Amino acid sequence: MGATQKYSIIDPATGKIDRGIFSDQAVYDQEMEKIFGRAWLMIGHESLVPKVNDFFHTYMGEDPVILTRDGQGRLHALLNMCRHRGNRVVRCDDGNATRFMCTYHGWTYGSDGKLEHVAGMSEAYYDALDKPSLGLVQARVDTYAGIVFATWAEDAPSLEAFLGDARWYLDTVFNRRDGGMQALGPMKWLEPVNWKTMVDNCSDNYHVPTTHLSSARVQTRYLGRPPLSHKDQFESPNKHVFVNGHSLTFREAPDNTPRYVHGISKDTFPLFQAYHEATLPEVERRLGAFRARHVQLGNHSIFPNGVLGFRLALPRGPLQTEFWHFVLLEKDAPEALKHAIRIGSQANNGAAGLFEQDDVDNWRQVTAASKSRLGRRISQDLSMGLGHAGAHPEYPGVVSERYISENNQRLFYQRWEEFMNAESWADIPIAPITARFEGTATLHG
Amino acid sequence: MGKHASAKVTTVTVTPRQALWLELMAFYTHEAWLLDERKFKEWLDLFTDDVLYFMPRRKNVLRREAHREVTPLGDLSLIEDDRRYLEMRVARLETGMAWGEDPPSRTRHLIGNLVAEPLSKGEVKAKTAFLVYRSHLETDHQLLAGSREDVLRRVNGAWKIAKRTVLLDANVLLDKNLSIFL
Repeated sequence: MGATQKYSIIDPATGKIDRGIFSDQAVYDQEMEKIFGRAWLMIGHESLVPKVNDFFHTYMGEDPVILTRDGQGRLHALLNMCRHRGNRVVRCDDGNATRFMCTYHGWTYGSDGKLEHVAGMSEAYYDALDKPSLGLVQARVDTYAGIVFATWAEDAPSLEAFLGDARWYLDTVFNRRDGGMQALGPMKWLEPVNWKTMVDNCSDNYHVPTTHLSSARVQTRYLGRPPLSHKDQFESPNKHVFVNGHSLTFREAPDNTPRYVHGISKDTFPLFQAYHEATLPEVERRLGAFRARHVQLGNHSIFPNGVLGFRLALPRGPLQTEFWHFVLLEKDAPEALKHAIRIGSQANNGAAGLFEQDDVDNWRQVTAASKSRLGRRISQDLSMGLGHAGAHPEYPGVVSERYISENNQRLFYQRWEEFMNAESWADIPIAPITARFEGTATLHG
Repeated sequence: MGKHASAKVTTVTVTPRQALWLELMAFYTHEAWLLDERKFKEWLDLFTDDVLYFMPRRKNVLRREAHREVTPLGDLSLIEDDRRYLEMRVARLETGMAWGEDPPSRTRHLIGNLVAEPLSKGEVKAKTAFLVYRSHLETDHQLLAGSREDVLRRVNGAWKIAKRTVLLDANVLLDKNLSIFL
């Protein structure tokens, strides 16, 4: 490979970014190598493979990957590619299997990826095939609070370092209960959108009162949910925080109310409040009193392509993204609460979601504008809140003064440059962990 | 008096099952036109107050595990609406700000292959296949194929849908969103 091309696609002083990154095939190809080939990627959840020899078919970028739990209960992320010709060895979305047989010539692999059987080993190969070196290609795997991550990069830092202080915030949703979480899903659909626009949108609370006004209005009328007006959004005490490459939003919640999610309505609110209060002692033990009572994670994105909590935005070329929408539920929550969250999540987010239906044409036209001869020469303007974010005495990361800001987006595109311009992981800065992780919760739950 | 005056009047006898089939085919044809002519409030009148409108996910599994192909109620689904959510979907379109459908999609619902089977308590199970074409904005278009399995019930003499299960024939939905009704 020649020298790494240096990208300069954002001017941090003005927030102007080069639209070419949303549609150029060459940029996309580099992203697959430099970002998706390096970063820790969310690929699934432990609850999708609860038993030995369970598997769940997923992707790392465009590479098909089998998440397995082997006979000893260990997790593996295996490239779904027979080492002989390259056929896939799994064609199902999920299941339970001790072995995966390639349907082309019958090479058979264990659920740990080892090549176990080759037809004609003696008769055709003269026993000269080096089976131990021909197992399915494996990625490094680790988990955070049940969420499975994998990376192809041998030189990547640990998952703990990669998440860094972002975990201080993420814990407030994903690491609350001793019993952990269970994933339902995914619902899958294909949008004509560049994957980065979805990530950008995770910190975009500015669009809500315009894009989603119709859904907000009817949900106020039918469900008693609060209106999401510009005034509400501008006055919101919530904040953006960019922490170790990850774009998060959060709410300071000194009023001891439950995190506001789809599924909360006038009718169901008492259920959520009762659950919040009943579980608070456990959450305080796990996260410490400050995080348990004061910090509520909002919409967020784990770099590069984790969006809307636990959803995968799988790149499918510069102009397409396949969305995999899951719902994560606390395992030990009452069934009525789980029901409310599931119904709220699938009715609002997802292909048929009341809110999400109205997002896609905006995003696809942002992507399409970057293909236009003239449009692509005119930069995007991400100047909102320039100079109004920085370090905070209580909260780790770069914290915006206001909720409506483009600070996270600017920093996301700078993070994108850091990955794209790096020769190796040694060139990619990782912030040291400085947050105080009070409580008993750990990386693994 | 024209030449028709001498035409013989023919009476065709149909069995109760055939009569039901004809009645329901007319019902589904009527429904298709309501949807394609965007008369969504009238369309809502075709559902009972306790309706469940359900669209499960469709998975790739081996033949021997066919029972796992369609996700059950209680799992994450594409749609699991009660009457209130269906009404919200329609009310949303009337705000003039439901941008995903404003300007609206052009749809064509073709409904066929009806099989109807009486259940107990006067309810009927009706299975149909559909091909739905959607055209949106300039060049966006999609052909959605699948089946509907309905439980219908007579309310004040008219058939109403008490439960609808829409089974899409897609694993990864190829459309940008599912903002039309099936």
